[in-house]
Amino acid sequence: MAHTLPSSDQSSDQDKWDSGGLECKGQLLIKIVMRNRLTALVVDGDTTCWVLEQELLHSYGVQTLGVDNSRDAVDLIASDAEFNLIIIEKILPVLNGLEVTRQICEIGVRCKMLEVTACSGESERQAFLAFGVDVFIEKPLDPEHLVPILRELDGQ
Amino acid sequence: MDLVQLQRQLVDYRTSLYHEGFLDEQFTQLQSLQDENNPDFVVEVVSLFFEDSERLLNELSKALEQQVIDFKRMDAQVHQLKGSSSSIGAHRVQKLCIVFRNYCEAQNVEGCLKCLQQVKHEYGIIKTKLESMFQLEQQILNAGGSIPV
Repeated sequence: MAHTLPSSDQSSDQDKWDSGGLECKGQLLIKIVMRNRLTALVVDGDTTCWVLEQELLHSYGVQTLGVDNSRDAVDLIASDAEFNLIIIEKILPVLNGLEVTRQICEIGVRCKMLEVTACSGESERQAFLAFGVDVFIEKPLDPEHLVPILRELDGQ
Repeated sequence: MDLVQLQRQLVDYRTSLYHEGFLDEQFTQLQSLQDENNPDFVVEVVSLFFEDSERLLNELSKALEQQVIDFKRMDAQVHQLKGSSSSIGAHRVQKLCIVFRNYCEAQNVEGCLKCLQQVKHEYGIIKTKLESMFQLEQQILNAGGSIPV
């Protein structure tokens, strides 16, 4: 059963914190039951981000692999490693995220691709979507965006 | 100071960090990922953030000292800093990064220099505050108590 995140308008947030107790830990991590073991590749040059993204995926039972540069990402895909989900940051060492996305799609990968990035303009968003990214998410990656995607991949 | 007082102090301290805009709900998200299997997750991720940020801030300082400033590279670095600060909920640092990126795009050296100083300042503050918070948590654990949620 999924719990929804509490709504976060200003006043309710203040009340939450004023009462001296933050929301119970469990409720913030939307709970879902996964039927299948999914796999994901996380591509991000920033350690803090990919550690966090991998942990978030792990907490949903997703097996993950993390790489911090484009070359390793493309090499992995080219060597027939298969993933249900690929999460890519826009700015990466070696090649930029857009170029990596293009190369991965050229290899013929058809899994779900998420672009998770710090900030971007509309034109960049459109460029990524045109190259084959399925969803564009602004950092930080959170359960609200991730859970519907995981459920879809899980066939729920 | 007894255990209950320590726990109260921690809750008040943490609440103040949110109220004053140093942290946002992403930090709470981070805490929700910590459990018995991963008891030090928050400290570990925050430590990574400190390492990454210090490296990036040094590189940005050096970049602004060059004769020819590589704004594109600086923009990529600020982008990274924005990403990692947003990932741990370091709200003020994240907000400053947005301003910083605008100056990079405009190739405004003065603006970039000023912004870098501000980012370094806010980073210093959040680092000190988080370290104090972790110390308080450790004191509570050492006294045999548990960290209040």
